[in-house]
Amino acid sequence: MSTIEVYEPAMCCSTGVCGPDVPQDLVSFSADLDWLRGQGTEVARHNLAGEPSRFTEQPAVLAFMQVSGSEGLPLVLVDGVIAMTGRYPSRDELARWAGVTARPALAVLPMAGAAGGCCGGGGSC
Amino acid sequence: MLTAPTTPGFLADAPRYLFLTGKGGVGKTSIACAAAVTLARAGRSVLLVSTDPASNVGQVFGLTIGNTLTAVPAVPGLSALEIDPDQAATAYRERIVAPVRGLLPEAEVALIAEQLSGACTTEIASFNEFTALLTDEGAVAGFDHVVFDTAPTGHTIRLLQLPASWTDFLQTGKGDASCLGPLAGLDRQRHVYADAVAALADPDLTRLVLVTRAHRAAVDEVARTHTELAALGMVRQHLVVNAVMPRPRSGDRLAQAVFDREQAVLATLPAELAGLPRDVLELKAATMVGLDALALLLQPGGEPEPSTVPAAPVELPAGTVGLSALVDELAAQGHGLVMTMGKGGVGKTTVAAALAVALADRGLPVHLTTTDPAAHLNQTLGGTTANLEVSRIDPAVETERYRQAVLQRRGAALDEAGRASLEEDLRSPCTEEIAVFQAFSKVVNEGRRRFVVIDTAPTGHTLLLLDATGSYHRDVVRQLGSTAGTLTTPMMRLQDPAHTKVLVVTLPEATPVLEAEDLAGDLRRAGIEPWAWVINTSLAAARTTDPLLLARAANERPQIARVLTDDAERCAIVPMLAHEPVGVDALRALASTGASEPVPV
Repeated sequence: MSTIEVYEPAMCCSTGVCGPDVPQDLVSFSADLDWLRGQGTEVARHNLAGEPSRFTEQPAVLAFMQVSGSEGLPLVLVDGVIAMTGRYPSRDELARWAGVTARPALAVLPMAGAAGGCCGGGGSC
Repeated sequence: MLTAPTTPGFLADAPRYLFLTGKGGVGKTSIACAAAVTLARAGRSVLLVSTDPASNVGQVFGLTIGNTLTAVPAVPGLSALEIDPDQAATAYRERIVAPVRGLLPEAEVALIAEQLSGACTTEIASFNEFTALLTDEGAVAGFDHVVFDTAPTGHTIRLLQLPASWTDFLQTGKGDASCLGPLAGLDRQRHVYADAVAALADPDLTRLVLVTRAHRAAVDEVARTHTELAALGMVRQHLVVNAVMPRPRSGDRLAQAVFDREQAVLATLPAELAGLPRDVLELKAATMVGLDALALLLQPGGEPEPSTVPAAPVELPAGTVGLSALVDELAAQGHGLVMTMGKGGVGKTTVAAALAVALADRGLPVHLTTTDPAAHLNQTLGGTTANLEVSRIDPAVETERYRQAVLQRRGAALDEAGRASLEEDLRSPCTEEIAVFQAFSKVVNEGRRRFVVIDTAPTGHTLLLLDATGSYHRDVVRQLGSTAGTLTTPMMRLQDPAHTKVLVVTLPEATPVLEAEDLAGDLRRAGIEPWAWVINTSLAAARTTDPLLLARAANERPQIARVLTDDAERCAIVPMLAHEPVGVDALRALASTGASEPVPV
């Protein structure tokens, strides 16, 4: 089974409570992790503010931090290899890395005219 | 008088641990010293622990103490220990930050350090330091009593009790736990903290002494502390009302007014405090340095030695001005954002309202925004005046709205432990500050056209966090629509001295001045320099002939001098008034006099 670790930017509280808004992607991501846990796969989360030494122990993460800094976070490490940066993974992506089958996801079709167009919100098409 | 010293109620049948709690400046450290001496003289072995950042325990006993257990030779049986909370917080922060310094980019290290620079971290770090004293670890095992001049807040205790804060984080390092910023540097075994928290909640081991002055704001604060800590099991509580004005015999109008006001507060204590065992300690002329002064603290009788009473009214140090001088300088600018900042109970609202009325009187349009409950605001303004618009931010309402919004959006996805952590996050002092700041950031830009006077200000720590994460900036951009390049964020406005003037409000006493210096230093970190200081309720600036008040007035001089030399470019002094400045006329009078011509009482 693959080891999935997520390195997150410094947040006073990982709930994002200290910001003026609670980011929706954090909310969805937490729900996806709960689901994955239900499938028997644990994902470790590391917050830069709480345990920065975690970020320097992994050569791949350290190199990334030196080049990109926390603005490039979050970073997803799968078996020590950088699998994704700059956004939180979707449930499907997590499932693929973990080697479990995602439950049929609700089809989310891009809406014409929505803010940002077809691929709004930083998602990849 | 040769009556035997009386033992105050809060020391009767004292349990092993005594914790004193209350607002800064109410006299916790002095009372802790006096209590420790009293217990030691009754033949007990006592350890006195001070976590006051301005700890003068060493000075009180005439020796150097610091962070080592030190015997006090003049009092057999007494030892003392000083924990400097700032030093503790720095050490705590270093444990986390040091391993990555030089590895991660400098900006990242600075951001991590800022996350660990809030009040919560300082508190947890202090608790971390004295945890060992609450469990039967080595050095303290032999003491009959351990007296602390502070107590952890409910927020700290609850954080330490939360199962979610521990299980994953400390054991395996896989945390989805929440407020781990502050908890991340804890360095002992989990059971040590659990034992320490259990000792706090054990009524046979621990007594909580609530210390207050007979002032409304201080009383309200200890009432909240009482309820919060009682809910956590600290049910054995005593109330000590310190420095109460004895019935004046001088016929002085101010002394009589102070006496009447304090008696009224004592007669109408909140029910939860009125039911507690209570000691009332009288105001003393002397500062509490040396064993002789301490011996008097717990005894009745506040009359000063004739030799300590200044012959003439105390002269204010050169360089101080009245509020009118500040109003003159502000008015010349025609518009801008004016914020008063300070700890609760120092009179931020009164100063803000007085400035607003004075500016409006000069024909300048003013918007006064206050966080004070409406009732008090209406009392303070007591009617309307031309050019003055008043609006109000209710911190309780704003915080609750924010809390509900977060719980709704975030809480639904969490399991029970996660939700408990989130709810505790939302009870942290930061939450209220952020909620209030969001509400008033809407008026920040208004200061370009008129005066906006606000009776509160965010701490530098909060500003830095909101700004550093960029989320605040992004939020603003989203609200304004993207007009990149020409955008000025509220943070940039706050840092612009031509736009924003922060007035630090404090009292002419050692601890409040120190607390104000902390606030100012915190603002400086965020690139904001306080424009002026206001020293409120000064006896030295008041007209009084009462010997006790004159003696107290003389004690203010070193504090005022310190603010003048170390802290303030402009320093205004506001006299203690016989009556609360209620209504437009009283506020106008307060703002229109100089320091050399005190407000008539």
